[in-house]
Amino acid sequence: MSRNIPQWLAPTSLQEALALRAQLGDEATVVAGGTFIGILMNQKIMQPQALLSLRNVSELAFIEASQDEGSSLRIGAMTTHRAVERTSLIHQEWPVLASTFSLVASPRVRNQATVGGVLADADYASDPPTLLQALNARVVVRSEKSEREIPVEELIIGYYETSLRPDELLVEVRVPRNRERVVYRKFRSRSSEDRPCVAVAAAQVDGKLRVVVGAVAEKPQYFPEICALAEGETGGYTRELVTEIGQRYAESIEPISDSRGSAAYRRRVIAVEVRRALEEMVP
Amino acid sequence: MKIHFKVNGTPTEVEAQADEMLLEVLRRELDLRSVRATCGIGICGACTALVDGEPISTCIFLAPLAEGCEITTVEGLSGDHPVQRAFEEEHAFQCGYCTPGMILTARSFLEENPAPSDEEIKVALGGNLCRCGCYVKIIRAVKKAARG
Amino acid sequence: MSNPRVTGAIRYAQDVEFEGMLHASILRSPYPHARILRVDASAVPDSVVVLTPDDIGDFGSYGCQIQDQTVLPRERVRFVGDPVVAVAAPTKREADEALNLIDVEYERLPGVFDAVEAVAEGAPLVHEHHAISENDAAYFGIRPQEGTNICHRFRIRHGDMEEGFKQADVVVEETYRTPGAQHAAMEPHASVARWQDGRLEIWTGTQTLFNLRMDLAGIFNIPESQIRIISPPMGGAFGAKTFVRTEAIAACLAQKAGRPVKVVLSRYEEWLTLNRHPATLQVKLGARADGTLVAKRVVCWVDTGAYADCGPGVAQKMGYAAVGPYRIPQVWVDSLCVYTNLPPNGAFRGYGAMQAVWASERTMDVLAAKLGMDPLELRLKNVLVDGDQFCTGEIMHDVHFIECLHAAAGTIGWADNKQGKGLCVLMKGMQTPSRASIVVEANDDGGYTVHCATAEMGQGAWYSIRLMAAELLGVELEKVHYAEPDTDLAPYDTRTTSSRSTYMMGRALVEAVRDLKRKGELGYGECVNKGGLDPDTGQGIASTHWHQGAAAAEVRVDEETGKFQVLKLYTSIYAGHVVNRPGAELQNEGSMIMGLGTTLFEEIAFEDGQPANANLSDYNLPAAGDLPESFTSDLFEREGAEVHGLGETALPPVPPAIGNALYSLGIHVTDLPLSAEKVLNAIDSRQQAKGGRT
Repeated sequence: MSRNIPQWLAPTSLQEALALRAQLGDEATVVAGGTFIGILMNQKIMQPQALLSLRNVSELAFIEASQDEGSSLRIGAMTTHRAVERTSLIHQEWPVLASTFSLVASPRVRNQATVGGVLADADYASDPPTLLQALNARVVVRSEKSEREIPVEELIIGYYETSLRPDELLVEVRVPRNRERVVYRKFRSRSSEDRPCVAVAAAQVDGKLRVVVGAVAEKPQYFPEICALAEGETGGYTRELVTEIGQRYAESIEPISDSRGSAAYRRRVIAVEVRRALEEMVP
Repeated sequence: MKIHFKVNGTPTEVEAQADEMLLEVLRRELDLRSVRATCGIGICGACTALVDGEPISTCIFLAPLAEGCEITTVEGLSGDHPVQRAFEEEHAFQCGYCTPGMILTARSFLEENPAPSDEEIKVALGGNLCRCGCYVKIIRAVKKAARG
Repeated sequence: MSNPRVTGAIRYAQDVEFEGMLHASILRSPYPHARILRVDASAVPDSVVVLTPDDIGDFGSYGCQIQDQTVLPRERVRFVGDPVVAVAAPTKREADEALNLIDVEYERLPGVFDAVEAVAEGAPLVHEHHAISENDAAYFGIRPQEGTNICHRFRIRHGDMEEGFKQADVVVEETYRTPGAQHAAMEPHASVARWQDGRLEIWTGTQTLFNLRMDLAGIFNIPESQIRIISPPMGGAFGAKTFVRTEAIAACLAQKAGRPVKVVLSRYEEWLTLNRHPATLQVKLGARADGTLVAKRVVCWVDTGAYADCGPGVAQKMGYAAVGPYRIPQVWVDSLCVYTNLPPNGAFRGYGAMQAVWASERTMDVLAAKLGMDPLELRLKNVLVDGDQFCTGEIMHDVHFIECLHAAAGTIGWADNKQGKGLCVLMKGMQTPSRASIVVEANDDGGYTVHCATAEMGQGAWYSIRLMAAELLGVELEKVHYAEPDTDLAPYDTRTTSSRSTYMMGRALVEAVRDLKRKGELGYGECVNKGGLDPDTGQGIASTHWHQGAAAAEVRVDEETGKFQVLKLYTSIYAGHVVNRPGAELQNEGSMIMGLGTTLFEEIAFEDGQPANANLSDYNLPAAGDLPESFTSDLFEREGAEVHGLGETALPPVPPAIGNALYSLGIHVTDLPLSAEKVLNAIDSRQQAKGGRT
């Protein structure tokens, strides 16, 4: 019986991994934590020809933050969700980041799934990308010959679709220091274990409001022109303002329908949850 | 390919294919039946094993990722581990299919949080589904194991 | 000695292994209704055994109540997932891959996916003829309506309907809908079949050993004595593991291969194997101004899917359960069991009671509102007491609805305030007629072995039966062993459903122990439960005793999103006599949690007959975090009472208690589940009715 048993490639350095990427491109499926790939393979949606595991590329598993003002939190792509959840540095200085990662799925998934993987999967219902985009985080992408740094919104471009090229690897996430009043709300319409129906991340980054709505469309939804309505509101957001921002977000998004809610229902909830996120931000 | 790991304390070498999940390998090669196929998507927890001490869904864990790891299944517990004893005393099971996953998850959780509240237990075990609906007694069992 | 569930030592049907055993995979129809034009398996290698529709010509048809199924479809597929080709190979992987090499050509036919539509003029017929089965599960008069999609219709005719409604000062009428649901037992269906010297042996997780044996005997045209069914403990069942599921395919493959064959379903296949009956129920209820009920008219359309399975029985039970535990002089019920092109629907914890109680108990609150009466008072005024006659003509005995209701109302603080609170009272029947028998064998070592066909699915039946036997024999529990159910050794039992086993086997045990004491080595005992209903009038004995209870719920609603929390959920269930208290509590709590799932989020979303949410991420099951803050139940007993089964009773009252709690806030939802979206829409309607803004 002809069946291709995929080759297992396990490079031990980033250089080796990038060389393999250059050589094989999308003929080898990159395995970070492997949770998403495991699901796709069990459902027979994906039958990889080769598997490129990053497990032994230890230089990709790190969490660092220098004390310099303006310097970012740097998280290596192979850092697990669990590590983000538990590391005291992140707890103290980026608490909402830690708590958002702790909201993902179950402890088992968080033990296995990685920061790089959840971004590279570009799953519309995942929590971290929505928050990272609100925090104006950037990802570092490398190939054998080059390196580029792009914001999350330039990485995730569609349903399970990123701008990563076949010879590239996502190696690091950088989260800015100068952010305030960070909020993440995960609205589940059904079970306490359900994936989100509507997720809202809101933050003030460099003094500017950024609101990102996730789980409602193919990629996280961010409208800087609507957020600009909050510019100059130094005293705090008024009820009218937060309601308007919520309304406008709801009107600007074409939500999807899935098992967690219809498009019409999502529209209603988007308006409410965006408003509530902004209300939570006001001290 | 050959994969080397420790299972319930014993160094082991198994034959597996690169695209097999650890669940199939544990059941087939080592006759460890306490890890069970149920949902295939890592949601229900019936396939839980501890990998380097942490609960993992073996049904979505590619077998080669287990290279060099220490794997614990419920067969590796004494049968009289405090969590197992608490589950028996509190009758925290019915059909038993989800029970090994519950026990391993509870054990791992209590090591990190030895005095949990009911709420904290619900969150920690939230990813372990029990269709028989034994949650009330499971929570009681975890609390008892915490005390003892 | 530790319990094998806790040590991981327990072995389920999927763990049975034999030398040379093959693994099966099934190629299923992607269409809900189609003619099979061509099956080409020529590309499949010789190492794989293939079973196509051409191979099953000699095999008989089967069906526990309507004989409408064949091992593989003869010329037509009738639901998405209908098995068309089955293969067996040395590994599961090879079997799965072989499916990719098989080509099937279909000619699509129009399908119907709703029971009400399937009864309408011009609806495509799923089956042209409806033959009543000879299986002993067809224990009541079945009334198939030839030339329609109705494979059974159950009627209750009690009193004069027109007169009844004329006497009513207030009449309410509502239509309710309940969706399909998946049992989602953690353990998938699994069977291992092998033939030895012309004798078929099957290890399978089944609740219905003897019914299964009977159907298989018909399929293979061999005497039942040539078939042996062994049922290992199951990882949950809830009704899913009944009658023929994977056994016939395993047996046919094993016969063709000349080797044992194992069939284990994937989680996705579970949605294509057996589900819960979707139903539409129309209820019209009339009362006098003082709240006395005078007339009730119920019509049920019960969607049994493409094959009837025990749908007729479910339609019947749903029919009389929809009347509720009330004195009503005029009652007419029509309950139709209807074919559609959905996967087959069958026994599901509650067996029609959930759908019926939802419709009936929500209508009580609608009526109370129209009467301007307290919903508790309305119930107390009409609920049955000992000596009352039910609409089937039978006289009620040992009923405690009033006590259950008071307990529920008291727990919820009904007297203090009714806002956001709801009540429900229910009665559910137990399989009547039925027969249970048991053998107790004295071992040489001073111990005893019980041979019994009651299957273990987590409900703790084996433990309860051992407890009862130990008590009757006057020995310690450790001295009593329960042999794995085996039709070669265990005597006949109707089946392990309907929460009947502890009660029926308990009574059979009394006889068996008495017989053993007389004979010395082996004692046999049986218990026969007589009764039944005339399917044309609904008169007779529906149940020799009744499962009874009440529930109360309190909710808090986020009116901007429709999402609500169940703050408090309580049930009060009449147990009669409890044999194993922890086990009884587990059954009660488990039923309540399953009821929560049904109420809040469980529904199979079908798109043109295809289950669109057939995985445990899109289809939510209750998790630990879904438990209400206050989640309690009381089981109460009465001195000298009979054991009353508890396996299901606490499920049906949960949805109406919660639905009525929402209704107390003016939020009227008639269709399950009570999704946030439906609640939000109902809030919009309420606001509009008040003339306010949404």
